[in-house]
Amino acid sequence: MPIDIPKDKWPGSIRAITIGATSAEGGTRAKSITVGGQTTLPYLHFEAPTPNQPVIAIEIKSRKPEDWSPLLLETWGEAMNDSAQWAKKAEEAGAGLLVLALTVEDSVEDAVKAVKSVLAASGLPLIVWGPGQAEKDNELLVPIAEATKGEKLVLGICEDKNYRTIVATAMANGHLVQARTPMDVNLSKQLNILISDMGMPKDRILMDPTTGALGYGIEYGYSVMERLRLAALQGDAMTQFPMIVTPGFEAWKTKESKVGEGVPESWGDWKARAINWETLTAMALIESGADVVVLRHPESVKRVKDAIGELVIA
Amino acid sequence: MALSGIQIYKLLPQTNCKECSFPTCLAFAMKLAAKQVELGACPYVSDESKKQLAESAAPPIRLVALKSNGTEVKAGNEVCLFRHEKTFYNKPGLFIRVKASDPDLAQKVATADAYKVNYVGMDFSIDGFAVLADADLGTAIKTIRTATKRPLILMGDPASLQPGLLACSGETPLLYAADASNADAMADLAKTHKAALIVKADSPDALAELTQKIQAKGVEDLVLDASATSLSAALTRNTQLRRLALKNMRALGYPIIAFPCDAKDEGIAAAQAIAKYAGFVVLSEFKPELLYPLLVLRENIYTDPQKPIQVQPGIYEINAPKPESPVLVTTNFSITYFAVANEVEGSGLPAWLVVTDAEGMSVLTAWAAGKFDAERIAKAIKGFNVADKVSKKRIILPGHVAVLSGEVEEELPGWEVRVGPREAVDLPAFMKQVLN
Amino acid sequence: MLRSACFVGRQTEHAPRTKVMQHTVSFTLDDKPTAVIVPTNTLLADAAHLAGIDIGQPCGGQGRCGRCAVQVTEGSVKRRSTLRLSPVDIEQGYALACQSIVEGDIAIYVPPQEKIERRLTTDRVVAEVTVPADYEYSFAQTVRRLHLTLNPPSMDDQTDDWARLQTAFRLQHQIERLTCSVGLLRKMGYVLREGDWKVTAIIETNQPADQMTARLIDLRPSHEDEYAPLWGSAIDIGTTTVTLWLVDLVTGQVRAQAAEYNGQIARGEDVVSRIIFAAKNGGGGEMRQRVLETINSLLELACKRVKSPQGKVTPDQVIKATIAGNSTMMHLLLGIPASSIRLSPFITTVNHPPSMTGRDVGLNACPEAVVDCLPGVASYVGADITSGVLSSGLDGAENVTLFLDVGTNGETVLGNRDWLVTCACSAGPAFEGAGVVNGMRATQGAIEEVWINSETLEPTYRVIGGGKPKGICGSGLISLLSEAFITGVVDKGGNVNVAASSSRVREGAHGREYVVAWGHESDSGEDIVITRVDIDNLLRAKAAIYAGFTVLAENVGIPLETTDKVLIGGSFGKYINVEKAVQIGLLPDMDWSRFEFLGNTSVKGAYLALLDWRKRERITEIAKRMTYVELSADNSFYEAFTSALFLPHTDLSKFPSVAEALESKKVDR
Repeated sequence: MPIDIPKDKWPGSIRAITIGATSAEGGTRAKSITVGGQTTLPYLHFEAPTPNQPVIAIEIKSRKPEDWSPLLLETWGEAMNDSAQWAKKAEEAGAGLLVLALTVEDSVEDAVKAVKSVLAASGLPLIVWGPGQAEKDNELLVPIAEATKGEKLVLGICEDKNYRTIVATAMANGHLVQARTPMDVNLSKQLNILISDMGMPKDRILMDPTTGALGYGIEYGYSVMERLRLAALQGDAMTQFPMIVTPGFEAWKTKESKVGEGVPESWGDWKARAINWETLTAMALIESGADVVVLRHPESVKRVKDAIGELVIA
Repeated sequence: MALSGIQIYKLLPQTNCKECSFPTCLAFAMKLAAKQVELGACPYVSDESKKQLAESAAPPIRLVALKSNGTEVKAGNEVCLFRHEKTFYNKPGLFIRVKASDPDLAQKVATADAYKVNYVGMDFSIDGFAVLADADLGTAIKTIRTATKRPLILMGDPASLQPGLLACSGETPLLYAADASNADAMADLAKTHKAALIVKADSPDALAELTQKIQAKGVEDLVLDASATSLSAALTRNTQLRRLALKNMRALGYPIIAFPCDAKDEGIAAAQAIAKYAGFVVLSEFKPELLYPLLVLRENIYTDPQKPIQVQPGIYEINAPKPESPVLVTTNFSITYFAVANEVEGSGLPAWLVVTDAEGMSVLTAWAAGKFDAERIAKAIKGFNVADKVSKKRIILPGHVAVLSGEVEEELPGWEVRVGPREAVDLPAFMKQVLN
Repeated sequence: MLRSACFVGRQTEHAPRTKVMQHTVSFTLDDKPTAVIVPTNTLLADAAHLAGIDIGQPCGGQGRCGRCAVQVTEGSVKRRSTLRLSPVDIEQGYALACQSIVEGDIAIYVPPQEKIERRLTTDRVVAEVTVPADYEYSFAQTVRRLHLTLNPPSMDDQTDDWARLQTAFRLQHQIERLTCSVGLLRKMGYVLREGDWKVTAIIETNQPADQMTARLIDLRPSHEDEYAPLWGSAIDIGTTTVTLWLVDLVTGQVRAQAAEYNGQIARGEDVVSRIIFAAKNGGGGEMRQRVLETINSLLELACKRVKSPQGKVTPDQVIKATIAGNSTMMHLLLGIPASSIRLSPFITTVNHPPSMTGRDVGLNACPEAVVDCLPGVASYVGADITSGVLSSGLDGAENVTLFLDVGTNGETVLGNRDWLVTCACSAGPAFEGAGVVNGMRATQGAIEEVWINSETLEPTYRVIGGGKPKGICGSGLISLLSEAFITGVVDKGGNVNVAASSSRVREGAHGREYVVAWGHESDSGEDIVITRVDIDNLLRAKAAIYAGFTVLAENVGIPLETTDKVLIGGSFGKYINVEKAVQIGLLPDMDWSRFEFLGNTSVKGAYLALLDWRKRERITEIAKRMTYVELSADNSFYEAFTSALFLPHTDLSKFPSVAEALESKKVDR
């Protein structure tokens, strides 16, 4: 009995966005990375091919994050003391992109130096996050944007309360921005509109819908992402940006990942559980449309990378 | 096609008789449209209307229930492709695969059966066992039944399944699997023993052909195995099956079973199966470090997105608070909780977050409904023994309920009551500038 | 006077290669003619300026506002834009001075500004109150005035006064059963003798069921002129504003209107705060007193405003009052505990209060006056809405119609003569001018409309009554927000634009703000501003209302576009500018002709019910028929709300006309 398989044909598509610039493109990256470009829901190859596969970024920091889980401290070891070293190890671990997260302790000089040393140590395209406090973010990101003009970095994180300065400097220096909103389709669209209204070209925005971790609100993030993707395919220009999500950050702050002592026995082996937590969080988000997943543990990176390889093959 | 409230209203008597206990026929119609009430509550609806309404209400995916002595695992009755459209109803059952030949069978089953893990106040466990008939199934089931009461999936050829079915008569197990080569024999077996049956084929066409054939033999409770061998193939197949079922293709209107136990990365395959339409999931072995995250994922994906979810009331520690750290108060609406917790966490500032039982409402809604008042706040502060944890008896109220500060002071003598910002995003600045 | 000029307007960049043609442009303003000679391609506005005629261009000469419309009476001009002109206008020769170019000799008539303003298609002016055409006092009223002539008592006829009066009622007016309060008994003897046994009785009958039973409301000495007014009052108790109409029940005419903020506002801006306050020790009594004080002072004020040939009108002459208001207001007025209204499952003590007297309620009207509190539907849909539905005629509409009450509780009704659904959402008092720094009610001194020049960001405003502005009322706030948005003073998120180069954009005590009127222009001498906090309040209010009706429509499965008419009620004074309300996303983006502005529909409904017992029964019917939809039942309201919390809306495709306006603004720049 031949069955007609229903196929969706969407009027809209996701913008293909390129991160990083090679020397030919005005930067110094060994290669650039393109994400997005989809014309249907994730990995439904019977409808349309997946033009660009999701990319794994590994998050490193400008200073050793003492508050990270012992499991992470153990796996990265000495490299955490030097962002250039850490960047190299992250590249070896299979990252397609790097995220360098700055800290409040960084001076402008420290921050610019850290960015430059990471750019020197690895040829991967780079995402730079400010420490997450509006004033400090602006103070650090502007000189970094200027010092790396043309590299097509992604600068983050723009939020509705603080986006103008970051967007302005990204526009002036040829970078991209990461636009973050708290788990809400409308807020996400609104920030994209505000950023576009400033004149930011639409092929230089990544949206970060915030996801929560497994057990900590991932169902909101999951559905928000599905809805954003559906809206984009239906033709809503203000949702047609690739999505960047941070399952590493989300998962490793949960008790399930972070700590091994004083937790119920029913949680099972700590390390395996912690990596499952990060991996499953990441996979759920990839299934709902993530284009860039920022991870922390090399083993999660390996598992997610293999799974992506399996998903993108028709 | 589901009918809208007004469309249903037009099929009702429109007399506003109130006998259905709703104030008007339209109110009743809207409840019907939302599937929150049964048509039977209307004593005067015409037969013609009944017929029309029943058609629009029939679930596109058959509900299949596996039963054993008093316990039950259900799958099916789903109505949408994306959970935000409505909700996903029946959580996929997680089954642990065991071998009939396993010398440690009883002990392995007992260990898995006893597994219990608590997640925000709920106890989760596994749902059943999938028994591979690599030895006499009758003996194996007798052994298993000494260790668990949970429903079973029986895996083997017709001949090897027979003794197993006899050993669990009175139950509704799920048989694996009918394919093109053995469909008749399996169907007979399922029919005789009132078992549910997995139908296995590698395309929707072949599956539909088989289900129709088996259904014609009188077996109704079917489950589909799309025999996908990769993540990509499983996603494609399950999506196609769900879509076809939702388009009322009756031959494919059955729950789906997934076998991550055979996948390269079992955890990832199981996670995908849970998110993408599986009704039963078979795991290779009992591993709490994987089971726990899968159970949580399943709970998350199957949470009704229309209902606000609640956080367990209590005192939460953020960024390793010290006795002198501030005490923030909020409600147990999860979005509210996450908004506050994320902001504070992101700021790096240590704090105690007291989550009161406001029946899952946000601050303003709860206040309006009387679920977040001075009395409840005081009860939480006292009930969670906050005073024992802090050196500075000072609480921060959300700015939206500034009006409560006087009453809270009365209810909590000895405590200083401060009014914080209205929005969570302003908390870090408030904590930095005002509290220090 | 003919002024020849070297003035070449905006055409200086075109160096004339050939000799530029010169044309005579004659203007007529206030019957005074003036003329100038200008070269070809001179902008009409520049020609007018040259002629010394000041044509206002509030929008900065962009053809947005239509305020510079003039009539070309001879010759013709080239119109660059006709955005504000209808085909009829163009046929009549109307042109926008800022968008028209002189190409030949022409004569121009400059109409007075008011005429232009009232001609604008976007303005929806509330109709004057007219007495229903079929109003017949003797037939429609439940109260009547009767003349009685009693036989004086004597030693032979020692019948008591009350029995004597009853006999007269029976014999002269066929009223068999009469009831009377002790209060009236106390003055009965005096009145009968004062009138020398000729008296005027005011009675309430039981229309239409029983004409033979009556209740005595008042007894007055001598025979009053039967055409003299009988005073009644229609009252709307809004959460924010109380409105009172004083009505002559004989003619049906509204003789005075008065409105004031509800005195309870000092104890909370929304119903929930009021309920909570009332539940506290003594709070209920205070709430009742506060609203009574407001009503009684309005009654006094309305009485003073009436010029009656029969002499001074006093509140105690008011013999019937019909009251509309939301359920909370009704409970608080009657001193009924209201807590159960806000607590699940949200039940009122009474949706349809029984008939009461002025004394029962505490009105300073005639103590025995009929006080009729209209019926509500549910805790959050009260008599203000049932009476609003009555006055809007929604319950008889053939096509699906949407009725919006743009007030503190943002009630919405959708339906037609077959079905009615309703919901309420807390919008807050911003559109009534409360909760906004320089907000005020729509009275004398309120800025009711604002235009902002998109180049200079300088505002132009119109003040109710024309004097110095005291503040901004609801329609002024809508207009201001819309202008600020279209001109880029605020972004789509409502943030006051940091980059705007104008001294009017500044950092104030409540964050960034925009100065609408400098201190030297204002009544108080203080700057009149709109702040970020005000904008947030307005955004929340408009988002709640927009979300309310969109979710309601979704709930019943009726696409919003298919609604035939949108009826708008609210305390905006005389008018609302529909275009501005659409631009901020308060109203759906539909053809403007589908909107109708009805003003305060609640008091109007109360007025109709006051006049006619048939209308009164229809309200009862409406209350029974209406289906209340609880918006908080699922997430869809919250979802719709956050999506509307943007200018005009997160989904700009829902507002094509606004998208177009924004697009054309970009081209201008």
